[in-house]
Amino acid sequence: MISRVTTQTQMRSAQTNLQANLARMAQLQEQATSLKAIARPSDDPARAADSLSVRAEQRAVTQYARNADNGGGWLTTAGTALSEATDLLNQVRDLTVQGANDGALSPLAKEAIAARLDGLSQNLLAQANAGYLGRSVFAGNSDAGVAFRADFTFTGTATASVDRRVGIDTTVRVDADGAAIFGSTAANPVSIFALIGTIADDLRTGTNVGAHLAAVDSRMKTVLTAQTDVGVRQAQIQKVGEALVQHKGNLEAQRAGIEDVDLGQAILDLKLQEVTYQAALSVTARVLQPTLMDFLR
Amino acid sequence: MSTFGGINTAYTGLVAARQGLEVVGQNIANANTEGYTRQRVTTSAVDAANRVGLIDSGARPGQGVSVDGIARLGSASLDAQVRGTAAVAGYSAVRANALSAVEASMKEPGENGLSAQLQEFWAGWSDVANAAGETTPAGVLLAQAGAVAAQISRGYQAVSTQWSSERGSVDTMVAEINGAAGQVAELNARIRQSVAGGGNANELIDQRSRLTTTLAALTGGIVNNRTDGTVDVLVGGNALVTGDTARPLVALGARTLEGPAGLTDPAGTAGPVRVEWADRTGAIPVDSGELAGALSLLAKTDAGGDGGALAETAAAYNSFATDLAAKVNAVYSTGTNSTLPGGAFFGSAGTGPAALRLTVVPTTTAQLTTGLTANGALDGSIADKIAQLGAGQAVDATGNPVRSPSADWSNVVTSLAVKTKNELRQASLADHTSTAAVNAQLSNSSVDLDEENVNLLMFQHAYQGAARVLTAVDEMLDTLINRTGLVGR
Repeated sequence: MISRVTTQTQMRSAQTNLQANLARMAQLQEQATSLKAIARPSDDPARAADSLSVRAEQRAVTQYARNADNGGGWLTTAGTALSEATDLLNQVRDLTVQGANDGALSPLAKEAIAARLDGLSQNLLAQANAGYLGRSVFAGNSDAGVAFRADFTFTGTATASVDRRVGIDTTVRVDADGAAIFGSTAANPVSIFALIGTIADDLRTGTNVGAHLAAVDSRMKTVLTAQTDVGVRQAQIQKVGEALVQHKGNLEAQRAGIEDVDLGQAILDLKLQEVTYQAALSVTARVLQPTLMDFLR
Repeated sequence: MSTFGGINTAYTGLVAARQGLEVVGQNIANANTEGYTRQRVTTSAVDAANRVGLIDSGARPGQGVSVDGIARLGSASLDAQVRGTAAVAGYSAVRANALSAVEASMKEPGENGLSAQLQEFWAGWSDVANAAGETTPAGVLLAQAGAVAAQISRGYQAVSTQWSSERGSVDTMVAEINGAAGQVAELNARIRQSVAGGGNANELIDQRSRLTTTLAALTGGIVNNRTDGTVDVLVGGNALVTGDTARPLVALGARTLEGPAGLTDPAGTAGPVRVEWADRTGAIPVDSGELAGALSLLAKTDAGGDGGALAETAAAYNSFATDLAAKVNAVYSTGTNSTLPGGAFFGSAGTGPAALRLTVVPTTTAQLTTGLTANGALDGSIADKIAQLGAGQAVDATGNPVRSPSADWSNVVTSLAVKTKNELRQASLADHTSTAAVNAQLSNSSVDLDEENVNLLMFQHAYQGAARVLTAVDEMLDTLINRTGLVGR
């Protein structure tokens, strides 16, 4: 059908075109001001789904980083306590060697060594009860507040470890088994505190303490091994933490790629649309003005 | 031919030109009247009077011009096209608007959506696993869980509100339809009277045409023209308007989404939302127009998930709430180190839709289970397992992986987004078609000022010409009557 153009249809199409231009302008303006490519899921359902999953991963990674920080705190505390314990054990060993010199030491001197050993035992107890944020790092999931009570009994549960999740399928153990390090085990039949107690008692009763050196050495080995183990795990959690930070950056870049518009592009589009709109306005103003009425005199 | 025949011929010319000018005046006056269809004077030449008697007076000119009527330059087919496209556009516009509103109420993707809240919830479990037995992370987790429950119920309520507002609009539409149908019936009677009396009913027809377009947009009603100038409007195959009678419609059915017939129960006391004739029971199969759009939105759910969009979305909220509670509880109830060992984390209180009933059972740190007593009082293994459920790493009792509720929610959002996008596209397409149809109609029926100006000139000149003829005949008669036989006087 040949369409007949009338003043009204012309007005109408001018109005429709201006409206369309203005709507496009508003859309671009919204994009340029919010810098979001998808304001609602129906703008692009596939991208919306991607955005949801990336955002979920971002939150999860933030949480893993938090977990890693917390685990790092636990392992640092345990590592420091174990290195202190090594120092203390070295002193215990020195004193034991010293005390083994039966001929050279008077009972008074032996008593002095025994008193120092008692002090070292208390220091060791303090290290064994080292805590991080109110939790004892050698007591597992115990809620007793300390790993070893004043009478040197262990409060923790042997089976359970304390783990921190640092990745979707990775956990790192962040505690150390206090029972194995300080308590009585198969390798070390008596606890470290009982051993020092026995040495002090033997010194007081005059028994030669040289026989306990092997036990002290074995205990020292246990503590050193535990320290190495904690150190390795600390390095692992640190590395994971760094990787998580990097991953966080990658995810943010991904999210921006999915959700955000390029500012330059947005402004360019807006400017272009502005020009189109102005052109439409001026053309409409020119076309709609004259009718035959203006030329009939 | 009589001596004064020429005067009469000129007079008919004057009358026709004046009528033409008046119709042009009417057109220009109504140049911007909505629904006005341009008019034209139709004229025909009057032929010579028949020969009377035996004497042949030879060839004779015609007797002037006769004004036959004022034609309304509308096009029935273009009008029908406008009505048809308006019905389709009305249908999809109502659906697209409702779905957009529901989608906007989800506030996804972003910080305010349920998905973000769920992430906070899973992270809360992770924090609890880091510091089991501590008050702060437990308090934060319980608050986050409460926020998840509140957000689900808010989302459901937004759908429910949308449903109620659509239900209200069905009542309004039915009232509007009944009003318009009554007016069409009344106009039918007046037009029939006018046409039967040979009068001009153009303006009445314009009015009726506007009303039938409204009816078509609302109900998809089909308009049949009858020979006596009246129209019938058919809805769902039955007459809404015949001649001068209109049959009213009534809207019946559930009033709320939660009502007995809203979501699932078709045999409830109120029945599904429907439109019936006031004088006959049985739902009318309305298949296009805004009314059909609203009714399709208000339909109950069906097994295939193709039921009414609002009821389906509400059902999605309900099943999400049930599913989230079941999945979290399955893990949570295996824990033992609290004052409520083996209990549920999410409970449901009272009656009604599951999405509105979700509650958090533990209220204090002591009641919150975080792990197994066997692993020590401060074990966080169960909390970690629930956090893993959020990450989609959980397995059930038989070792099969359990889908993360976050992924389930993402599916709900995406499937609604796809539906909405589809509706929006259809709506925009239908709108374009409808606009094109209206443009085609207007380009045929609207008043063009240039054209009317030309007509104005034409009729003006015709009037002047006829007046000139009159003068000429007058002068001729003057010569005959006053100057004949004066030679030599």
